[in-house]
Amino acid sequence: MTTAGGITEMWGKPHLPMRQNRLDRIGTAPVSCLHSTEARSAIGVLALVGTSKGLFLLQGDEDRQRWLVDGPLLEGWGVYHATRDPRDGMMYAATNHRVYGSTVQRSGDGGRTWGRSKKIGLPEESQLTLEAAWHVEPGWPDEPGTLYLGAAPGVLFRSDNGGETWEVNRGILDHPTRPRWLPGAGGMCCHSIQLDPRDRRRMYAAITAAGVFRTDDGGESWTAINRNVAAEFLGDPHAEVGQCPHKLLLHPARPERLWQQNHYGVYVSDDHGDSWARVDGNGLPSGFGFPLMLDPGDADTAFVIPERSPEYHYSSGGQLAVYRTRNCGDTWQLMADGLPKQAWSAVLREASAYDADSLYFGTQSGSFFALTDGDRWVEAVRHLPPILSVEVTAWSG
Amino acid sequence: MVRVVVPSMLAAQAEGRQRFSIDGGTLGEVLHALPVADLIFNERGDLNRHLNVYVDGIDAHELGGLSSSLADAQEIRVVAMVSGG
Repeated sequence: MTTAGGITEMWGKPHLPMRQNRLDRIGTAPVSCLHSTEARSAIGVLALVGTSKGLFLLQGDEDRQRWLVDGPLLEGWGVYHATRDPRDGMMYAATNHRVYGSTVQRSGDGGRTWGRSKKIGLPEESQLTLEAAWHVEPGWPDEPGTLYLGAAPGVLFRSDNGGETWEVNRGILDHPTRPRWLPGAGGMCCHSIQLDPRDRRRMYAAITAAGVFRTDDGGESWTAINRNVAAEFLGDPHAEVGQCPHKLLLHPARPERLWQQNHYGVYVSDDHGDSWARVDGNGLPSGFGFPLMLDPGDADTAFVIPERSPEYHYSSGGQLAVYRTRNCGDTWQLMADGLPKQAWSAVLREASAYDADSLYFGTQSGSFFALTDGDRWVEAVRHLPPILSVEVTAWSG
Repeated sequence: MVRVVVPSMLAAQAEGRQRFSIDGGTLGEVLHALPVADLIFNERGDLNRHLNVYVDGIDAHELGGLSSSLADAQEIRVVAMVSGG
């Protein structure tokens, strides 16, 4: 095995090199942003955009006005989530295919070559089998090589060898409330994994439709933390479990504060999830939606993209719109400058991201948007396959 | 030795190789020897639901499945079912 970046033989043979596609292969350029094949600027943002047919790497310059596109990588795979590990620069992708199943793939050379994990599976006595790989979360900074994988049916895996092998978390697998968990429309997916940056034993997992769970002992045991979170599709609308969190985020500078976009509303917690307050009144057209973004510099600020309702799954009022609160949900303001006025669009749970400078999201209709100065959205790329996931990281070159 | 041909997505996971020559007494032994066996079999060792396997043009189910003897077989084709999309 001869790939760059330290991939070793334990990952097996490398896959085909990525094609060096450029913007002229993507098709129609968006009117709001001229693509460029000129030399890359010295610093900018790299977006890992997972789609139903592969992974695209979008490199934006510092002001996010000009973008370069490489891809598709991992052609044909549904990339439910891809991320770049800030500890060592490795890229990981949770990939799924209707015929070939689910796996995790890793690249140590910026996406040029990939290797995949050994077979991921569940213990036979569980009578469960792996249905989908949903989300790869790098571990704490002081545990290099440790990763977490959220998957369906409602399971969490851990790897301590950079993703070569994965071991299921028994606390989640054997949780006494599991018989009361339900699959959502996308299956019973463990999609959000959040690590407390101040407590190495505390982490969170959100599972649809089981609810949010917290461990305070490094993953040995998990407590359901769904108090005051509605589950109107259940006989008991405030049941212990069975809720449908669509996305869970911990504020990186104030980790006791959690934000949750749920099937029924937007929620915030200031006590590690022990209690939740619903905050989707006062300006949001709907409490239903999937993506969630934060401002790392302000724990009271959050962004959501509402959809009309669970029965419709497209943008409220036929307008693609981001809403922002700056006061922890007391009020919400529309941020739609630069977004299409008429769009029956949808943004999936993993298809948004944020950094210190901007926000990013991709639609099921294959458009990728970035927020630029003056709170104006730029459609950086269009006509990609349906976008399933977005992550961003800084790059220089 | 029997020749095994796999679809292009599996070839992309095997350094671009689409054809393999493999020794084995049964169909299961040969398929498990492929470098992409983990993408052909599920975690219980069963063939993935949306895959078909043909031995010299005959559906492997008609030959007894994975335990069937290859005898004088020349070519095994792994084919994604139309139900796989």
